[in-house]
Amino acid sequence: MDTAIRVEGLVKRYGSFTAVDQVSFTVNRGEIFGILGPNGAGKTTLLRLLTGQITPSLGGIDVCGRDAWSARAKDHIGLCPFGDATWDELSGRKLMRVTAGLRGFTGAEARRRAESVLETVGMAKRADRPVRTYSKGMRQRIKLGQALVHDPDLLVLDEPLNGVDPVGCEELNDLFRTLAAKGKAVLVSSHILHEMDQLADRILFICRGKLLASGSLAEIRDMLDDHPLKVRISCGSPRRIAPQLLTLESVKSVSIEPPCDLLLEVQNPGRFYAEFGEFAAGNDAQVQRLKATDTSTEAVFDYLMERAARPE
Amino acid sequence: MDTVSKTSTLAACLQVFRLSLRRQFFTRQTIVMLVLLGLAVLITYLWSLPKQWHPDPRTSAELARQIVLPLYMGFLLPVICLGYASAAIADERTGETLVYLLTTNIPRPLVYLSKYAAALLLTLGMTLGGLAVLCLMSGKIGLEALGVFWTVTACATTAYVGLFLLFSAWVRRATFLALAYALMIETLTGNIPGVVKRITVSFYAKSWLYESGETLDLAPSGVALGLFDPVSAATAQSVLALASVGFLALGIWVFSRKEYD
Repeated sequence: MDTAIRVEGLVKRYGSFTAVDQVSFTVNRGEIFGILGPNGAGKTTLLRLLTGQITPSLGGIDVCGRDAWSARAKDHIGLCPFGDATWDELSGRKLMRVTAGLRGFTGAEARRRAESVLETVGMAKRADRPVRTYSKGMRQRIKLGQALVHDPDLLVLDEPLNGVDPVGCEELNDLFRTLAAKGKAVLVSSHILHEMDQLADRILFICRGKLLASGSLAEIRDMLDDHPLKVRISCGSPRRIAPQLLTLESVKSVSIEPPCDLLLEVQNPGRFYAEFGEFAAGNDAQVQRLKATDTSTEAVFDYLMERAARPE
Repeated sequence: MDTVSKTSTLAACLQVFRLSLRRQFFTRQTIVMLVLLGLAVLITYLWSLPKQWHPDPRTSAELARQIVLPLYMGFLLPVICLGYASAAIADERTGETLVYLLTTNIPRPLVYLSKYAAALLLTLGMTLGGLAVLCLMSGKIGLEALGVFWTVTACATTAYVGLFLLFSAWVRRATFLALAYALMIETLTGNIPGVVKRITVSFYAKSWLYESGETLDLAPSGVALGLFDPVSAATAQSVLALASVGFLALGIWVFSRKEYD
């Protein structure tokens, strides 16, 4: 797969404070990559490094084959920064033409791109008003338009759904998916965890500047051997098999949820699935359904944060 | 779409220039400058009216010595330069819009040069325009003063803009630093005897004026001239030119390397 960003051994220090500590990952074209972490985790510093606003203390960032700090790398990057700020005395249409101008487009081409991107972000009909009169959601759309006007290969979005209404969120998520489907790499930072669940193909968890985990949710989940997982089993005779399930090493607790469900807390998901397969085959468990109930990003995130907070 | 082949760095720089010019002109600074210039014009008008203790018509030398040199060169010129140049980058920082310039494909030195060109054009327009209004409203006597002062004003403006834009690239609260510089260095240090005042822009502007404005009798006489100890006009011109280039180069270097938050 074609790589849009390659980050290797990235470190950013401010004096004795390390904002980003030995972070490595890649983002491929055509995928949506999420960055998650609590406030102060280093997400914004990481995005500023990726978009060439600051330089790394150690390590390297390669954007479409070029050093992120270089002007040529920025040809390939579209940034939608956090916050509301933009040149809000301009109208939406003028702002988009100015942004196209800042990318070196002139005359008819700048106008064409401005109109096209206004249409894409759903602001074409409201583009003659000054940006300062826009709602927060409209500002987010206009900022997204600024990031898209030069048709970049890599879209870097810092909390892009902040302040956007639910319908708008769904529309923008569809847009991000469309852009990814067209082969663009979309990198999204967000604290809205359930949206990441729906949106991101892969997620990077970061805390105190350190990478805690990266990969698809399922991959991350599998990596966490000691993360207790809740599993709901629907079966024909829950009262009969509940005590037997407790004999499995990976099962920590079992509770019965009438009429026919069992709620299990298991320690090592991979091992549990192997043990349970053998158990079900040998004990006539009549399993109708098995579902892990807390594989959401939120559950994984909470667990990772809790683990990161533990003393080493 | 091939973004590389269809774009022009020069066009992008021109866009930065136009945007900066527009954003800087339509600001409170412009209103403040126009009010200050209006006050200066009013003072000049009142000064030029015949009075009981001064029934004779005013002369070019009087206009230059009593109005243009102290009021315009000593106060308005640095204030106008400070107002525009120190805000050029600092306002983008505080408004959190600098990120849009730093993440374009324009190399940082060219972004700085475009901002510099916009700030310089705007400031020159205001300083030279203000000087012209001030001199011409005094009638024919103003023409001679204008002829002497405009070149010095243009060069001093260029040096000040270079310096204050450097401050703007360097610190977030550049206007405070520029004000402190104007008060402490240009005003206080620039008026004490000795060689310390040779670090000020105003010293070289005055030295140049004292020589080129001999017909206006601008230079102080006797002990005062000895205490001021001016350099020649040629030296002053060279220093102002070098300082302008030096400030610009230093500003480019700072802006190209600095990590803005």
